[in-house]
Amino acid sequence: MKYSFARSRSLSRRLMFCSLAALFALPMLIGNARAASMEEIKKRGLIVATEDDFNPFEFVKDGKPTGFDNELIEDLRKAAPFEIKQQILPWTGILAGVSTGKYDAAITAAIITKERKQSLEFTSPIADATHYYVKRKDDKSINSIKDLSGKTVGVQAGSALLGRLPELGAMLEKEGGKLGKVVEYTSYPEAYQDLALGRVDYVVNTIINLQTLVAEKPIFEVGQAVSGKSFPAWAVAKDSTELLAFLNEFIAKEKASGRFAELQKKWFGEAFPNLPVSFEPQF
Amino acid sequence: MIHDFGIVWSERALLLSGLANTALLSTLSAAAALVLGFLVTPALMSKHRTVSVAAGVFVDGMRCVPFLLFAYIVYYGLPSLGIRLDNWTSGLAALTIYNAAYMAEILRGAWVVQPREPIEAGIAFGFPEIRLFRRIILPPLLLAAGPVIGNQIIQIIKDSAFLTIIALPELTHAASSIQSRHYVPFAAFITAVFLYWGLCLVIEAGVSSIGRVAEERR
Amino acid sequence: MTGGDISAIFQGAIVTVTLSLIGILIGMPIGLGLALIRWANIPVAARIVTLYVSMLRATPLVTLLLLLFFALPNIGVPIDPISAAILALVMNTSAFNCEVWRSALMSFPKEQFEAAQSVGMRAGQRFRRIVLPQIVRVSLPGLVNEMSLLIKVTPVLAVVGVVDITRAAVRIGARTYEPLPPFLVAVALYAPIVFALVSLQRWIERRQVAAEAAA
Repeated sequence: MKYSFARSRSLSRRLMFCSLAALFALPMLIGNARAASMEEIKKRGLIVATEDDFNPFEFVKDGKPTGFDNELIEDLRKAAPFEIKQQILPWTGILAGVSTGKYDAAITAAIITKERKQSLEFTSPIADATHYYVKRKDDKSINSIKDLSGKTVGVQAGSALLGRLPELGAMLEKEGGKLGKVVEYTSYPEAYQDLALGRVDYVVNTIINLQTLVAEKPIFEVGQAVSGKSFPAWAVAKDSTELLAFLNEFIAKEKASGRFAELQKKWFGEAFPNLPVSFEPQF
Repeated sequence: MIHDFGIVWSERALLLSGLANTALLSTLSAAAALVLGFLVTPALMSKHRTVSVAAGVFVDGMRCVPFLLFAYIVYYGLPSLGIRLDNWTSGLAALTIYNAAYMAEILRGAWVVQPREPIEAGIAFGFPEIRLFRRIILPPLLLAAGPVIGNQIIQIIKDSAFLTIIALPELTHAASSIQSRHYVPFAAFITAVFLYWGLCLVIEAGVSSIGRVAEERR
Repeated sequence: MTGGDISAIFQGAIVTVTLSLIGILIGMPIGLGLALIRWANIPVAARIVTLYVSMLRATPLVTLLLLLFFALPNIGVPIDPISAAILALVMNTSAFNCEVWRSALMSFPKEQFEAAQSVGMRAGQRFRRIVLPQIVRVSLPGLVNEMSLLIKVTPVLAVVGVVDITRAAVRIGARTYEPLPPFLVAVALYAPIVFALVSLQRWIERRQVAAEAAA
C-alpha cells in the first residue's frame, strides 16, 4: 500500500470520513429486506435454504443432496403450486439469511429457542432433538455427566446446542464441577474428526444426529442427555404468517398420510409419533 | 441498523479478543517466519546442489499450495502421521512455515542486490563472523527489504483470517460467531473489515518509519 | 477413497478453475481502469479509488466474501453464493492489479507520451498504440503473480458453500477420517496450475532482463 498520508492530508481525510459515513448510512436508508407474501412467492417461487453437511437431516452424497429434509423437499415440490429453489450452504448463514429475507424458509433442523423466536417463526417440530453428548468409545474417563467437568467440548458455531450449554454447565455445577473449554466448529463433521483425534473430549448434538453417527462410526459412543426437551423445526421470517400456515399444513398432511413416520424411520431409525404441533421453548 | 451496531458493541469483548488473537498470531508467525527465512536463504544460495535443491523444493512447494489447504493438512492431516497439534499451535505452525518460504525469497532478492564492498571491507578489518553479520550485513538487508517484508506481514494478517476454518478464535471467527447468533451480518463484518484495516495501517506506519530510517542512513 | 470421491474432487477442480478464470478476466481490465483513474488524477474519483484499493488490499478475502454474501441481501440486493464468490474475487484482485498497472504507468517514460501528443495523436489512439502495449509488457510479471495468488485464495469460497477442490477434499476426509489421501490429491491438482503460472512469471522476468541488457 503506497497510500501516503503526507500528501494532501485534509482532502483525503475528509473524503475518508464521508465515505465511512456513507457506508454506515446506506443500509439505514435502504432498510432491511422484508418477508415475502404468498403472492410474491407464488410468482417467483419459494427460496429455501438447507445445510450442506448435517447428517441425517440433510447432506450431500455423490454430489446429490439427500437426507430427511431433502426428501421432504422433494415431496414439497410435488405438493406445492409453485417452484422451489434450493440453496445449500453452511449452517452459520442459514438463519441469518431467513431473518433478513434472503431466503423464505430454512428447511433444516433448526432447534426452537427463545432467542431465535425473537426474529424467526417456527413450523411444527419435525423430530425430537434432546441434546446428548458423544465420546470416544475407548475413553474410559467419561461415564456419566459429572465426568464431563473440565473436559473440552466441541459444538457447532451459532447452534442452539452451543446456546444451551449453560444448561449443562448448571448440571455440572450442581455436582461441584464446571463446564470446560468450548470449541466452536463450522460444521459437525469437523467436530467429530477432532473428537476422533482427541482434540476434544466430547461433542454435543441432538440424539438423532448422534445415533446416526454412532451407527456409521462405532468408535464413538453416545452418553447421557445434557438438556431438557428440545425440538427442531423449519424456520421462516417473523411476519410470514401465510407461508408458515402453508408449511404447517404440508407437515400435517405428511404426518396424516404416514409418510412422515416412514421418513423418520428411514433416516432416524425410529418414528416420533407424538410430536407436538407447536412448541414454546423454555430456553 | 444502529441497533445492529449496538449488538456488535455489546459483544466487543469477543471482537477484541479475536483482534488480539489475530495480532498476536500474525506478529509471532511473522517474526518466526523471518528467522526461519534467514536460515533458508543461505540454503537456497548454497553451492552444494542437494542443499540448494532441497531448499528450492521447499520454497516452490509452499508457493504452489493454497494456504488454506496447507492449514488443513497441518491440522487434520498430520495426526495421521502421529503429530497432533491444537488449533492455535497448528495455525501458528502453518502460518510460520508457509511464510518462511516467502520470506526466504524476499531476503534472497534483497541480498542479491546488496553491494559487496562493505562486507569485504569488514572481512579485511577482521570483524568476527557474528559481529560481521549483525552490524554490516543485517541492517542494510533489513532496510532494503523493509517494504516488501511489510507487505508480507500484511499478507500474514490476511492469511490468519483463513484459520477461522480450523476453529481458531481470531477476528473473522469472532465476527462470524456474533452474526450467526444475532443475525447482524453487515454490522459484524464491516466492523471486522475496519479492524483489519486499522491493523494494516499500523504495519504501514511501521514500514514507513523504517523507510525513513533507511533514507537518513543514506 | 473411492472413485466417486476422486471425481468429486475433480468436479471441485472445474469450479476452482472456472471461478478463477472469471475472476482474472474481469479483474484485470477493472484494475487497469482503476489505475488509469488514479494516474489521470481525476479529482474526486482518484481519491475514492485510492481508498477502495487501500481497504480491499487490507481486507482478508474471507471477511470480504462473508460481508458481501450476508450484508448485500440486508440492503435489498439478493445474491447467491456463486455471484458473491465472483464479486469478492473480482473486487480483491482488481485492487491488487490496480497497483501493478499503476506502477507500470508511473514508470512510463513521459517523453514518449509528449512525443505522441506533439505528433497529433488523439488520446484514445495514444493509449491504444503507445501506452498500452508497453505497460502490458512491464506489468506482466506482477499480473501473473496476482493470478497465482488468486487461485491460491479460492479455497476460501467454501464458507459460502461453493465446493472447490479444497472443500471437496475436506468433506471426504471428514467422512472417512483418512484426510491425507484426498488432501494429497488436492495438492496434486493445485500444484501444476500454480507452478505453471509461477514458471511463466519467472520466464517473463528473465526475458525482460535479457531484453533490457540487450537494449
